Amino acid sequence: MKPLPLLLLALAAVAVSAQADESLGQRLAQNSCAQCHSFAKGEGHGVGPNLFGVFGRPAALASGFAFSKPYADSMKGKTWDRALLDRWLTDTQAVAPGSGMVYFQDDPKKRDELIKFLQSLK
Amino acid sequence: MSEKTRADAVTTSRRHFIKSAGAGSAAVAAATFGFVTENAEAADLKFDGEYDMVVCGSGCGGLASALFSRWQGNTAVILEKAGSIGGTTSKAAFWYWVPNNAAMRKAGIADPKPDFLKYVARLTNPNGYDANHPRYGLTPWEYEMCEAIYDSASPAVELLAEKGALPYRHVAGVPDYFAELPEDKAPKGRVLVPAEASPSMSDGGRVAVRTMSAKARQEGIPIRTGTRVTKILQNTTGRVIGVEAQDELGATVRLRAKKAVIFATGGFTHNVELRKNFLNGPIYGGCAAPSNEGDFINLASPLGAQLRNMNYAWMCPIPLEKAVAKDGSISGMFSVAGDSMLFVNMYGQPNANEKLQYNELAHTFFEWDGAKVEYPNLVRIAVWDQRSQDHSASAEYGRLIVPRGTDDRHVIKGATLPELARAIDERLAKYAGVTGGAKLAPDFLANLQASIARFNGFAKTGKDLDFHRGERVVEQLFNGDVKEEPGRTNPTMWPLSASGPYYAALVVAGTLDTKGGPKTDTHGRVLDTGDKPIPGLYGVGNCVASASGRAYWAGGATLGPIIAFAYRTAQAASADPGSKA
Repeated sequence: MKPLPLLLLALAAVAVSAQADESLGQRLAQNSCAQCHSFAKGEGHGVGPNLFGVFGRPAALASGFAFSKPYADSMKGKTWDRALLDRWLTDTQAVAPGSGMVYFQDDPKKRDELIKFLQSLK
Repeated sequence: MSEKTRADAVTTSRRHFIKSAGAGSAAVAAATFGFVTENAEAADLKFDGEYDMVVCGSGCGGLASALFSRWQGNTAVILEKAGSIGGTTSKAAFWYWVPNNAAMRKAGIADPKPDFLKYVARLTNPNGYDANHPRYGLTPWEYEMCEAIYDSASPAVELLAEKGALPYRHVAGVPDYFAELPEDKAPKGRVLVPAEASPSMSDGGRVAVRTMSAKARQEGIPIRTGTRVTKILQNTTGRVIGVEAQDELGATVRLRAKKAVIFATGGFTHNVELRKNFLNGPIYGGCAAPSNEGDFINLASPLGAQLRNMNYAWMCPIPLEKAVAKDGSISGMFSVAGDSMLFVNMYGQPNANEKLQYNELAHTFFEWDGAKVEYPNLVRIAVWDQRSQDHSASAEYGRLIVPRGTDDRHVIKGATLPELARAIDERLAKYAGVTGGAKLAPDFLANLQASIARFNGFAKTGKDLDFHRGERVVEQLFNGDVKEEPGRTNPTMWPLSASGPYYAALVVAGTLDTKGGPKTDTHGRVLDTGDKPIPGLYGVGNCVASASGRAYWAGGATLGPIIAFAYRTAQAASADPGSKA
């Protein structure tokens, strides 16, 4: 029966590291985004649109959500991909001046974690 | 400094010197020669940055304090605990109540100071109000704080507008919440909103955060998000010299404040322990930013700060489900929309005027029945029909009746009233753990039907003989959209349909945010238990004690005063001799 505890330990280590990775992005999103956005499927829009499935979606489209004109003007025709999200999270007002969302994040590591989290919402 | 205080300071610094054996030579010399070693501790600490003002919190109070400080020639940094800026302000409609404002003066609307003070005195201290008393029954502190609002709100908002940080729009038609009182000599005209706010004026907070933060960044004020202040740093004399904070990734940073640390970190809406210990009544959280956890109370208490007005909050009814889920985007129900709509309690009985302004309506949830040992109105049930669903749905102002496609998790549906009652019971069962097992009374359905019949009778005549719904001007202000009915005198009421479908939602009392905390003087200086300022420590907004008591004077009675005190605080902090004087 000796190998079993070792295997369990190994599995536990994998689980912990996965959880730690997941929780950083999730924790940052909770601290940065949850005040206005919901993340789960079917949760409805808040102050900002629901973010489930945001990756790969047209940037100015979220069924049932009315984007502000400055946002829609700047974002129409664009699609949420890694590059656009990175620019967006660096400084939303630089990408869509006058948009309702004010957010800026100078730290590329934090942006990267947030993007990974957003990508996982599917 | 008196001899005794000086001696105490020296003793403290010596003790400190003995403890910190590795102190630098300057500190050693100072301690050895018995000087007041104000900078001894500062010299020991390594700081990651130094500013005249360290401002904690990036809502309106923090942004305005930093901007006003900057315009007085100071350097400032803003630390924000959350990952994004704006705090509760970004969720607010951002009406701001500014007595005797420039637009009123220009329009010839008189707003005499004594009457303004009588109005706020009557609402703040109803049982002590006396029109003939020199302070109208207010305590000296309350009176001075209210005077400060009258004196400083207008110059403060003019400066913000002039500098382009917060251009405003005067909404001359918005009434005060108690416009009928004889003391209110300016019942309309005190409310401003950000110039770019939408016509419905519900998004002012996002506009204000955008324009004020853009100005702050343009003025060279760094805004560090994800930075939670964990400690207020003092030197050996007790002067506040900076803060210690934790970054989201766990790093510790120390920032030195040459003149002042200004807190504007919001109230304790999301701190269950503080809520339970200081608020009277079963409050289910609220719509303050999730980061409003009463940090300043916990940080300032060890410094001997005096707490005041801890028992009151800016209150608002909120949907139970969103409160329990701690939904970050929850909004208070500023406007209980719908005409064919009523609230009943667990017995199916209506016992409130649904159109009362939010703070007053929320207070009615706390009635305690000492014989039945229960809060009979702990959870109220809003009931409406298809007419209100079709004509009064809106995603703004925290309305319960929301359009298709928006977040409607709180809405309960039933094709008939019996079906609706069953669905309400099922929903309540899910929340039994947070309501003490509240469920509908056995005769709920019969009572609900009778209540609707009685309401429908009032709706036909436009006269609510029980609760006088819609009779006050403010109640019509918050009515929201309703279907046009030519010739109707009371647009807040219309009979509920005799046939379904029907809709319902569970409503509890919550806060926009709390309004108690460390007491400040009229210059934002935080006072200790002996009413003496704690040197270098300032506070603005919902993190400090409001002098309004239980009252919610008018729409914008949170933000107007916050701007006034940010202005006064920045002036005082700018003139603060700081730790090097």
